[in-house]
Amino acid sequence: MSDSPVIEARAARPGFDRPVLGPLTLAVPGGARWALTGPNGSGKSLLLKCLTGQARVHGGRLTTAPGTRISLLAQDHPRPYPWPLSGHDWFRAMGTRVPEHPRIRALLRRRLDQLSGGQWQLLRLASVLAPVEAADRDTGRPHLVLLDEPANHLDAEVRADAVELITALPASATLVMTSHDDELLGTLGVERHPLQDYLDAHD
Amino acid sequence: MTDLLLTPFVAGFLITLVLALAGSGLFLRGSVWQALALGQWAAAGGVLASVLHWPVLPVALALGAGVMALLQRVRDAERLPLALFLGGLAAVTLLAANFSQASLAAAAWAEGQLYFAGPNELIAVVVAGVASAVLWPWLRRVWLHAQLAPDVSAAPAPPAIARWLEIAWLVAVIVLGSMVLGMPAALATLLLPAWGAAFLARGLTGALLWTQSLAIAGFLVAWTISLPLDQPFAPVLVVVFLLLALLARAGAVLRRAP
Repeated sequence: MSDSPVIEARAARPGFDRPVLGPLTLAVPGGARWALTGPNGSGKSLLLKCLTGQARVHGGRLTTAPGTRISLLAQDHPRPYPWPLSGHDWFRAMGTRVPEHPRIRALLRRRLDQLSGGQWQLLRLASVLAPVEAADRDTGRPHLVLLDEPANHLDAEVRADAVELITALPASATLVMTSHDDELLGTLGVERHPLQDYLDAHD
Repeated sequence: MTDLLLTPFVAGFLITLVLALAGSGLFLRGSVWQALALGQWAAAGGVLASVLHWPVLPVALALGAGVMALLQRVRDAERLPLALFLGGLAAVTLLAANFSQASLAAAAWAEGQLYFAGPNELIAVVVAGVASAVLWPWLRRVWLHAQLAPDVSAAPAPPAIARWLEIAWLVAVIVLGSMVLGMPAALATLLLPAWGAAFLARGLTGALLWTQSLAIAGFLVAWTISLPLDQPFAPVLVVVFLLLALLARAGAVLRRAP
């Protein structure tokens, strides 16, 4: 694990139109495997959205290490119908490499709107965890993977595959996830960090 | 086919292909309402140009671009485009009610004037076709990237210039298509082949090919029917596209039935 933080928050006040969380102070080291825990509505998803620019920081500072590539698995991704895209198209859209995982390979030729909820979640998870196609050109850039409730919609059929994919994440990549699924967190062996512990901290 | 009809046929055929491609993009982006507003204000621009005795295409393009700029600034996928469409419809109706030349122009935009397309229209359509081919790699990238939200990819997003070029291309194609085919026919070409194809295809490439196939089939059938029966081309094209899209929908349902 690297000493230099990939995520650094100093008295940050995340929110949308107005601040709804904070002040928040924390530092996530490079290569960490963190699970942010806390009750629903405590601001875990909001923090992840702030890191991807989908929400704002109204005060203080929230930064990532220079050049960091960020990928996010959102809590939910509703599918329109009809949606004439295949698994191959999804990986092309994400710009990431298709893993050699047989269950993922089996989904590539299927239409996204005809996958089960678990298969769709697994495909999205795999594409978020996979390295980008152009990664060879700029190795050394930190990769920050954000997973917001990845166990959502995972049925028994694909749960083991999801665990396998997450644990196969390269050690150089940093993982920050949210989950209420204690069993999943235990299986993954990630560090649990209650978000509450980082609120109202010193500037 | 007489030489007189060769230019309209080629112009109509090419603009149908380009409009269908634009329709694929609008379908993937979920922005079909924008086409309605844009097409109506292109028609309003054409009618206004007839009143002012100005060239039609620049005025229609200017109004279409203005509407698109407004649609890009306000994040409202349905109500604003619908309100703008109604505003454009009111503008055309008022102009037609008060100026005789506007009345003729409004009828031309509603019915289409493909049979009267000349070399100028053909050149404009060929330019649009070439521009579409040149822009294709960027259009595809922008449309694919638009599918990701709310997920975020670690790969870089398409550059802002690609998005702006896509918008400019869409405006030009919809305005030109409305001018050549008439607004209802242009909108039908934008919306219906892509919708029908979405039920039949197994992926993006298939959707694009099915869209083009349905568009070509619809154009050829409408051309073949409307000429000998002495019918206006635009409404026949709309009816044919509707039937093809419904057939595609029914085919998909039958294919999925146990």
